[in-house]
Amino acid sequence: MDGKGVRIEGLKKRYGRGDTAVDALKGVDMEVAPGEVVGLVGPSGSGKSTLLKCLGAVIEPTAGRMILGDEIIYDDGWQVDDLRALRRDKIGFIFQAPYLIPFLDVTDNVALLPMLAGRPNPEARRMALELFKALEVEHRARAMPSQLSGGEQQRVAIARGLVNRPPVILADEPTAPLDSERALAVIRILNEMARQFETAIIVVTHDEKIIPTFRRIYHIRDGVTYEEAGEGRAIA
Amino acid sequence: MISLAGRDIMHSLGKFVFTGLGLGLLIGITLSMAGIYRGLVDDGKALLDNSGADLWVVQRDTLGPYAESSSIHDDVWRGIRSLPGVARAANATYFTMQVRQGGRDVRAMVAGIAAGAPGTPGWPPYLVAGRQITRGHYEAVADIATGFALGDRLRIRRNLYTVVGLTRRMVSSGGDPMVFIPLKDAQEAQFLKDNDAIRQQRQRTGENPAFNRPQVPGLLEAVIASQSTNPYVNAVLVQIEPGHEVAAVAEAIRRWKRLTVYTRSQMEEILVGKMIATSARQIFMFLVILSLVSAAIVAFIIYTLTLGKIREIAVLKLIGTRNRTIVGLIMQQAVALGAIGFMVGKITATLVMAPIFPKYVLLQPLDSVIGFGAVMVICLLSSIVAIRAAMKVDPAEAIGG
Amino acid sequence: MKRFPVHKRTLVMLAGFLPLIALFIYVALRSGALAPVPVTMARVENRAISPALFGIGTVEARYTYRIGPAVTGRVKRLEVDVGDPVEAGQVLGAMDPIDLDERIRASEATVQRAAAQVNEAEVRHGYALAQARRYQQLLEARTTSEEIVLTKKNEQQAAEAGLNAARGEAARVRAELEALLAQRKNLDLVAPAAGLVTARHADPGATIVAGQAVIDVIDPAHLWVNVRFDQITAYGLAADLPVHIVLRSQAVEPRPGRILRVEPLADAVTEETLAKAVFDELPQPLPPLGELAEVTVDLPPLAAGPVIPNAAIQRLDGQLGVWRVSDGDLAFTPVTLGVAALDGSVQVRDGLKVDDQIIVYSARALHPRSRIRVAEHLPGVKP
Repeated sequence: MDGKGVRIEGLKKRYGRGDTAVDALKGVDMEVAPGEVVGLVGPSGSGKSTLLKCLGAVIEPTAGRMILGDEIIYDDGWQVDDLRALRRDKIGFIFQAPYLIPFLDVTDNVALLPMLAGRPNPEARRMALELFKALEVEHRARAMPSQLSGGEQQRVAIARGLVNRPPVILADEPTAPLDSERALAVIRILNEMARQFETAIIVVTHDEKIIPTFRRIYHIRDGVTYEEAGEGRAIA
Repeated sequence: MISLAGRDIMHSLGKFVFTGLGLGLLIGITLSMAGIYRGLVDDGKALLDNSGADLWVVQRDTLGPYAESSSIHDDVWRGIRSLPGVARAANATYFTMQVRQGGRDVRAMVAGIAAGAPGTPGWPPYLVAGRQITRGHYEAVADIATGFALGDRLRIRRNLYTVVGLTRRMVSSGGDPMVFIPLKDAQEAQFLKDNDAIRQQRQRTGENPAFNRPQVPGLLEAVIASQSTNPYVNAVLVQIEPGHEVAAVAEAIRRWKRLTVYTRSQMEEILVGKMIATSARQIFMFLVILSLVSAAIVAFIIYTLTLGKIREIAVLKLIGTRNRTIVGLIMQQAVALGAIGFMVGKITATLVMAPIFPKYVLLQPLDSVIGFGAVMVICLLSSIVAIRAAMKVDPAEAIGG
Repeated sequence: MKRFPVHKRTLVMLAGFLPLIALFIYVALRSGALAPVPVTMARVENRAISPALFGIGTVEARYTYRIGPAVTGRVKRLEVDVGDPVEAGQVLGAMDPIDLDERIRASEATVQRAAAQVNEAEVRHGYALAQARRYQQLLEARTTSEEIVLTKKNEQQAAEAGLNAARGEAARVRAELEALLAQRKNLDLVAPAAGLVTARHADPGATIVAGQAVIDVIDPAHLWVNVRFDQITAYGLAADLPVHIVLRSQAVEPRPGRILRVEPLADAVTEETLAKAVFDELPQPLPPLGELAEVTVDLPPLAAGPVIPNAAIQRLDGQLGVWRVSDGDLAFTPVTLGVAALDGSVQVRDGLKVDDQIIVYSARALHPRSRIRVAEHLPGVKP
């Protein structure tokens, strides 16, 4: 690794204790290079969400190692104190739904993250607008989230995920509510963003429309991952 | 950094303002209730302040003249006047009755004031219009709470009185407005029955052989004449010479066997402690209940406001918002709501409730300050409850299944 | 440029809340105990005031004649009723003589009998006198004894005495008869002067004791108003002062009159000075006796001087005075007052100068540290 990307080694997660214990993750290995967009596919109950939550530093794994960029964030125990700052600065989130803050305009929705990181407001907004340009939504910069179409909102959400230039972005079913044309558009954007900003993007999905676009896919079943080469189909 | 609280407020401004208004009305009613309580106590004291007396001399063993009826002879004041330390002594009568004017009648306390000049004990201490009484009969000074105007002709018993002056806040301890008339007219009004009753009394006296003796011409007329006069008053109001002890002069008067004397503090105790005590207690209970209900509702509103944002709060936590930013969001909103509510409440209480409520509403600045403090404390405490709920939210919930 | 909409939003919000805040500040400062006390002010004027006194009284007759019998008796007849005018000397009625006529007749008979007895005594006296003279002549002719002459003289003297007695008796019974006749005349109820009958206390047949009045007659040409003035405001009351009298039944027409006299005896019980006021011209029709009247006495006007309205007078810490405003400062100024007029103006003898500014009306009681706000008239009071 050259200071970017993400790597997971032998990640385990056990819920509960004693007789009622459940091992959601039984030793997951994963590696994503910067600029790469990989798929994470698996049935429900396979530990997909648990893996995402561990990667997102939302829950604590039981054992294993997580490396983000050039920082070991977990090694059989958290190696950082402020998980929330970690999430803010190092991890980008893209959810199924845009989950924009309804009472902030879309610029401030995105600029909020740099502001929280301590950037002055004008600079934070400038960073947001840059991304809007790249995502072709800068003409909606002053609108409130409710005034945007679903696709525009999703692009704003993507901008929010990218604005702090995190080394990794976790996307959870980002295309689930979309039709195939828009779904592919989203994947195309993600690929472009990953390339442009050298971000590693992990896309959790079971959407058949976009799975063929991944070059690499991680299958997860019963708490263990299997790597597979994907089709890598080009997006029009 | 932007103000999340401010943005949220502006985004749902209508809802926020509406909630603030509702809260404000509730706070306004609570403040008004405190004002009513204070007004009730003030009614009791206004009567004492306005009479200008240092001592009240009444019938022996009565709590008069306001709490209980008291009858003393109208020449008793002369003996009191001559005691050392007494600067002024004047008769006074008080009688609550219906006063008629035009087509309507008003319940008022008719006070009989001794003949003399402004400054005599019992006379209204200041006016808001017109002049004080100058003629010894058939003139009146009325409180504006009666609704009478200068020049109105009032009918009290069988005489007509012209309103020559108006006062403000001259009320009885029960809140009835006062009408001041000359003492002699008041004595007659308090005593005189209607014409039918007078005729019957004359007839009964005439049938009594003890009074109707043919050998003694003029006896019957003399007896009937004595029945038609009223030489009694309700109290003597006394003002003390400066430099003399009120208690000492009171004691000197008490040595007269058939009189009871009360000082200002004793009268206050009787009026506030006995006469209005029941109403005051009721109002105070209402005030407490209303305050508790208001507090509960404020807490509920703030809690609900926060719960409505619980998903946004989860998202904020997930994307890395610090706890203290989220706490600030909730607390700032609670405080803003409280401030708006208090302002609306104070304005409502002063401009709407106080003028229209039939009793006197006394809004004191101290009560407003305490009210503001209470509202802020309640808002902060209820925001803590909401904050705990917010803190418990698991950011992981933002990530589906 | 992109920042502007944010500012506009803030401005809109402030614009919305600003009225609320402004209203709140207004309410906090202007009402309740923090607010200044609204007052009205006036100038101490230099005026001559016309003091007046006010009293109420009843219309009464100056002369009331209560006519009744001198002895207990029964009323026989009454010729007049209430409202009838009578002349001086007119017989209004009579008491029942009962047995008086019979007694007069008896007395007349007695008088006659006494006269007859006088005759008899005269005859006897004449005879005795003649006999005494004859025997005296006989004594001088030495034909009778001295003893017989003495006897005859004795008889003459006795007869003289008897005649005197009879004459005295006749005079006595005549006097008795005259007495009964006078009594008989006394049974008539006679009006002592011209007037109007105002009361008839008994009807024929009723028994009246001596001293009880049967008929009241008044002189309607002489009515007066018996007025009472509170002693404390009766300074200056004197006879011959002009007055206005307002009768209760004619409330709008004050009638001119004057004070006839101030009673030397005041009413100590009611603490009132009594006086009698008469009309310059008696109202027609006559007001009923006992009707209430309001009497205003106009005292001679005083020289011009500082005058204040009595609404401004207050008492603070036992001192009588007014609130004076000089150079924006509020101060309680004790004053010495003089005479007051019925319209509320009071003369100031000491304490204030003409053109001083004083407070007349205030919405609340004032203290030396009160903040005041001068207004044309007080809120809530129609001018």
